[in-house]
Amino acid sequence: MALNEIVRMHEDLERSLKKPVAKRSWIMVIDIRKCVGDHACAVSCMAENVCPPGTSYRKVFETEYKSFPELDRFFMPANCQHCDNPPCMKAANSMGKGAIQKRPDGIVVFDYAKLAKSKKAAEAAKKACPYYSIVEDKGGFYTDGTPVLEPYEIRDFYEYDKKLNRKKGDARGSIRKCTFCLHRLESGMLPACVGTCIGRAMYFGDKNDPVSLVSELLKKEKTWNFKAGLGTNPRVHYIGYEDRTKISVATPASCAACHQ
Amino acid sequence: MTEKDKEVTCKLDEYLDTLPEPEQGMTRRTLLKSGALLGGSALLMSQMEGAFSLLRSAEAAGGSATGEYPLSKATSVIYSVCLQCHTACPIKVKILNGVAVKIDGNPYSENMIPNLNYATPVARAAKIDAKVCPKGQAGVQSLYDPYRIVKVLKRNGPRGANKWKVIPFNTAVDEIVNGGELFASIGENRHVAGLKEIRVMNDPKLSADMAKDAKQVAEGKMKVAEYKARYSAHLDLLIDPEHPDLGPRNNQLLSMWGRIEHGRIELGKRFMYGGFGSQNLIEHTSICEQSHHIAYKEATNQYKDGKWSGGITHMKPDSFNSEFIIFFGTGFVEANFGPPCMAEKVTDGLASGRLKVVVIDPRMSKSASRAWKWLPVKPSTDAALALAMVRWMMENKRYDEKYLLNANKAAAKAGGEPTWSNATHLVKIEKDGPGALLRASDIELGDKDSFVVIAGGNPTAVKADDDKNAVTGDLDYSGELKGIKVKTAFTILKEEAFSKSMAEWSEITGIPVKDIEEVTREFTAHGKKAAVEFYRGPVQHTNGYYNAQAIIALNILIGNTDHKGGMSIGGGHWHEYASGKNKEQFNHEKTQPNKLTAFGHKITREGSHYEKSTLYNGYPAKRPWLPFTSNVYQEALPSAADGYPYGIKALWLHMGSPGLAAPAGHTALQILADVNKIPLFFATDIVLGESSMYADYVFPDTAIWERFGNPHASPDIPLAVSKFRQPVITPLTEVVTVYGEKTHCSYECHRR
Repeated sequence: MALNEIVRMHEDLERSLKKPVAKRSWIMVIDIRKCVGDHACAVSCMAENVCPPGTSYRKVFETEYKSFPELDRFFMPANCQHCDNPPCMKAANSMGKGAIQKRPDGIVVFDYAKLAKSKKAAEAAKKACPYYSIVEDKGGFYTDGTPVLEPYEIRDFYEYDKKLNRKKGDARGSIRKCTFCLHRLESGMLPACVGTCIGRAMYFGDKNDPVSLVSELLKKEKTWNFKAGLGTNPRVHYIGYEDRTKISVATPASCAACHQ
Repeated sequence: MTEKDKEVTCKLDEYLDTLPEPEQGMTRRTLLKSGALLGGSALLMSQMEGAFSLLRSAEAAGGSATGEYPLSKATSVIYSVCLQCHTACPIKVKILNGVAVKIDGNPYSENMIPNLNYATPVARAAKIDAKVCPKGQAGVQSLYDPYRIVKVLKRNGPRGANKWKVIPFNTAVDEIVNGGELFASIGENRHVAGLKEIRVMNDPKLSADMAKDAKQVAEGKMKVAEYKARYSAHLDLLIDPEHPDLGPRNNQLLSMWGRIEHGRIELGKRFMYGGFGSQNLIEHTSICEQSHHIAYKEATNQYKDGKWSGGITHMKPDSFNSEFIIFFGTGFVEANFGPPCMAEKVTDGLASGRLKVVVIDPRMSKSASRAWKWLPVKPSTDAALALAMVRWMMENKRYDEKYLLNANKAAAKAGGEPTWSNATHLVKIEKDGPGALLRASDIELGDKDSFVVIAGGNPTAVKADDDKNAVTGDLDYSGELKGIKVKTAFTILKEEAFSKSMAEWSEITGIPVKDIEEVTREFTAHGKKAAVEFYRGPVQHTNGYYNAQAIIALNILIGNTDHKGGMSIGGGHWHEYASGKNKEQFNHEKTQPNKLTAFGHKITREGSHYEKSTLYNGYPAKRPWLPFTSNVYQEALPSAADGYPYGIKALWLHMGSPGLAAPAGHTALQILADVNKIPLFFATDIVLGESSMYADYVFPDTAIWERFGNPHASPDIPLAVSKFRQPVITPLTEVVTVYGEKTHCSYECHRR
């Protein structure tokens, strides 16, 4: 068994942070064979990023397929793919300039103030995303309608190097999505979903670093991109399921159930 | 307590003082609005404001926009232990301005594989989050539940009407202890017996004497009349002088625990047994996993110094190294013991190709979705499926014969085996089937502490733990020795497995013969690196014990225990009472002053033989007696309602909900609602639960993130681990005074 991949990825991360931002190239690798569908990643992400009802940056799509007794289940963890050719950016920026930007390290950045102001740009971006990764912060709280608005919902949180607080209105009314936990990366931490995964299906690191674990995985494993044919050039790479006859990786039929 | 904590406590007091006194007839909803149930936010917000202004001034002084991410700092981290399930994973709780905002796994802990080097500085560890399951992460939501109870509530309407009033802690304790017309203000004209009135036996010496003799009476060694004469001055202490074996009236306090664990167990037992003198402390185990534990214990018990002992209650596959694992009525992703420690070892094997798994479960679980084969067995037919597998193994000689032939420790040692079985030991066959193991003394071959095997055609006495004289026996033997019909344990299992054809087993279980054969072939194709893991699925049936024994037999047939990739008992822990010579130094029960001896049949009649009781009056008994088990949760309330063997006067419900968790829970709620059957009912809970909402008094308990504890490690952890839970925030419950000391209201407070 590969020994402590988490520690190794931390070391990879620390090495990359010593380089200028432009020399870093963040990617995520997800081994679906090891995804057990427990949604720990999604819960961790929501707590980390103070996601209100109806929003989640990380979704684990679940589907059942075939019928009894051949019945099987499939889990597909998905989030913003941080495309190198992001359709959302093109769509939004045509209506509100600079609302969505691409950082040199690959991360696609949303400007909440601009996107909250230009509903049209937000709507266009949401529609343009082929990965259903963009969600709208409609402003509510989970503890709305209870005796108290609980403190974990109205706490400060940190995204894109900004301190935000939803009680003060930050991010509310805007569209939101996975940030690759940029605020954590810059502090030398892996994205929240990576550490918490109980099946150890999640990997993160710098593609430009040839000795990083993710670079090694890209070389060693047969990886594939979601909807690769669209030319979006995603930064999330998947491993797995090519050896299973029930799900063809090239055309994950079961995924179509969720990704209409 | 730090300075900051004091400040919080003080502010909480101030805040609580501002609460309006609730009026009569308030409903739970209005009570919530008044703030008697405080989520803690108001208090925390007042502190957060101070922190904000500090931050703002720091920023004004020219720092970066956000500075270092606060949750990446060691000063934001408090390590503790989860209890969202009994796996009790070590957690890392991140605190921002006094609020527990996020829960991750502790990277120094065994859940990180392998754990972070202990020499790693805390500043670095703060940046490394280990895994924890979504339920553990949802601790934030349980801790800051908007419906947390933070003050003592007294019923202000009929039981279950959810009408409450807030009363001071001391008033509640006084009322419960002293009793009286406690509910006169809501029209209940009845005298409620307080705990003082129930705890009539309070003389340690007398309780010990009366206990000893009551046992004699129960066993028929002393006449009731003799007992009555001997204790004529004290008969009023007994529930029924005609039945001294029911024990003192102290037994009429019943305490039921749901989840309770070390740190509290010791305190609870000390209070109920030695302190209160009641036998009736009933844990939840029978509705959890008990038959699994008893089956394992009996399968692993050793015969030593004339008795069976030393059995262990739980084993897990060495899934780091296994090549094939059958998860029988359980999985590695859901429940069990538990996903954070189990999942990775399995997924690692699945991805690398080292491991194949099978999941046997009527439900297509998430674990099943990762399995090579899923066998949707008909519920409760697990033993039939296991016996079908046994049959196939025997028909095809796919068991470890060499292992099974070893009849004692010396033989195992000679064969390089860490364990041995009694497959070759002879069992007496009575007229209704297999009875006890044959002893050498039964056939004048040796002493009564020796068993018998057939070796080279001759009956041979064998001591199982003999590590000098290796004995191997015949595996398959059936015959008669000195007029006693005997068979080997192996033969008995074989005959049971062959009592039905594969097709018949298939019909019972709903699993096609082809699948049974394929799975068994694979199970027996990996030497000792295969294992059958089972847990609550097969055992939580009335035939659960037998299902468990049939499944354990599969592991014994391949002799995989203590082999790499086979079954393991885990690393264990150091006991909270300390270990070795110092063991008793911290034993609360042993060091208790003026300790009473609790005695009498428990209300559930667990651990008691009907025939060895003065209530014996032919068959059937009014309710079942359960001599071989303990903690029969579902039996406690119905027995109290039936007054068999006696009624109770007070119930203390803690961290559990019989209404939700016990079979036929709706009937439990009917009993709880009946003031004639349960005259006094108090509960400790963090919210008003499905069952605690029927209580007369509800005391706010500290949530697990607000208190101490020392849970044990999962048997899936191969390392020896002791865990320590510590509070991560100041408890949200009100501050009360116990023995002159201020403390937050909790379970621990009620020992006043």
